[in-house]
Amino acid sequence: MIELRSTLAGRITLAVLSTLILLFLALPIIVIVVTSFGKDAFGSFPPEAWTLGWYRQLFADGSKWPAALSLSALVAAMTTVFSLVLGMTAATALVRSELPLRSAVYGLVLAPLVIPQVVIALGLFLLFEPAMMLGSPIAIALGHTVLASPIAVMILMATLKGIDERLEDAAASMGASRLTVWRRITLPLAMPGLVAAGIFSFITSFDEFFVSQFLSSVDTVTLPVQVFNVLQYNVDPSVTAVSAILIAVAVVALALVGVVRKLSGSGKQDGLLPTEPGLGLPAGSETAS
Amino acid sequence: MTMAATALAPTPAPAAPTPAPGKRGLGRALSERRTRFGLLNATPVVVYLLILFVYPIFSTLMLSLKGEEGGFTLHWYTDAFQGANLEILLTTLRISAETSLLALVVGFVLASAISRLKPLWAGLAMLVVVVPHFISALVRTYGWIILLGDNGVVNNALTDMHVPGAPVQLLYNEIGVVIGTTAVMLPYTVLLLYAVMRGIDRRLLAAAASMGAGRITIFRRVYVPLVAPGLVNAGVLSFILCLGYYLTPALMGGEKQTMVASLIDEQVMKQNQWNGASALGIILLLLTFAGLLLLRLLKSAAEALRNRGTAS
Repeated sequence: MIELRSTLAGRITLAVLSTLILLFLALPIIVIVVTSFGKDAFGSFPPEAWTLGWYRQLFADGSKWPAALSLSALVAAMTTVFSLVLGMTAATALVRSELPLRSAVYGLVLAPLVIPQVVIALGLFLLFEPAMMLGSPIAIALGHTVLASPIAVMILMATLKGIDERLEDAAASMGASRLTVWRRITLPLAMPGLVAAGIFSFITSFDEFFVSQFLSSVDTVTLPVQVFNVLQYNVDPSVTAVSAILIAVAVVALALVGVVRKLSGSGKQDGLLPTEPGLGLPAGSETAS
Repeated sequence: MTMAATALAPTPAPAAPTPAPGKRGLGRALSERRTRFGLLNATPVVVYLLILFVYPIFSTLMLSLKGEEGGFTLHWYTDAFQGANLEILLTTLRISAETSLLALVVGFVLASAISRLKPLWAGLAMLVVVVPHFISALVRTYGWIILLGDNGVVNNALTDMHVPGAPVQLLYNEIGVVIGTTAVMLPYTVLLLYAVMRGIDRRLLAAAASMGAGRITIFRRVYVPLVAPGLVNAGVLSFILCLGYYLTPALMGGEKQTMVASLIDEQVMKQNQWNGASALGIILLLLTFAGLLLLRLLKSAAEALRNRGTAS
């Protein structure tokens, strides 16, 4: 804001304030990662002595963590597949074709993002309980897909909008069938978007709490539910190590998205947070274009 | 559902390309093909969401209107607005208001600071905003529990600095909850505000300055009206998201900070009270709809304010 070039004191105040706010966002994450390597998992910070013990303890005999971790990974993988299929078809319908009631369909697709998750979870319980599907990984994945698919649709819509439709038309005019065009032209061009959408669906499912909580049974518990139970009732210091792993998964996933975007040369400035424009509450200029 | 759909839908759906003039028959045939293709592709997601999203919410609604021995009743709703339940409802509204207000103020400061930075630094700062957003809120809440405990980092620092009254009780009370939920909502407000601020035409501010307006006048009469739509968006959005939020209040709050989502969870998991939980869920849903409706109304108001700002 050149014209508002304020006094030096004003600028310093703003700089200090915003540094503190950034610290406010980063601190809880830093503290967990550091604590997970500390001898005293609940105590002093920074730790007085270092250890890998909490990580080792995760895989000790009788530990519930490996089962929870593999269930979460399985559910997240299924969610990714479901959301990509739904996301790609929905994005094609919304971007590449004429759809009656288009904005109603778009609204329906995005609605799960603003509806309180506890309400969605409650409803899903009512659906799956009579079907005797509680605790089934498929049921949990189907539930997670409700929350992950809007994000996939948004990313894939942006991807399809970015692909020059004339390339598809050109292939079709050379006699390629619709399926061939899709397989040979659209799909390869959409690959970066598909990877990003897949990764975001995976993280959404991997972190999801409420739906898992309502749809799990005694012996099928996802990682976040297990973490929550430990934090609420027991004292299990290895939970810091699990939390650090969850942080690592998210950071690696985001880095992957960044790499894919860089390689494909798309999305150079924005869109790291797909939920933002897609919440359907567009904030002026950014989403207007 | 229809209400959510209309409230959510982006205002103008981009018009489909009109068929080439002259060849009307061919154009219409092509258009029909595109429509069929669209319906075919939209079917999976629509069917999916009707079965796993719309129908479950509908059965929640039905359950909330059903008496213990069947039959229609509003008993569960009157129950929700009485005694301890009413208190929890009010607490939810209060904590959501406190959180969204705080997230808005803090987000405004950070977003405006970032929008003045050079691209490289702005990108790095946005990374610090965005990355936490994708890290499980549960994990971040746990981080706050470590930070804010009686022997946590914050209290140790306060004690070392000989702040009177330290250690301060920062957990299991409202201060803790609001700190935790604000940290969760902050990325949303920063991103929404930053998007608006980056889109502001700086020449408007320069013009105001060249006409002799002081810094405060420019801020108040030009900058804030320009940012107003973003403020409305971010404020209402974080309020709505907070209403149904659960993890942080459940882990960082005391008895007085119970929110509706916790109450629903408790009714289901501990008391097996599905009808009451459903009624609370529907109330939460209606509050969300009310928020979205309010957003629509405020949006047009903010639009008017902005037009006045740019016009003058």
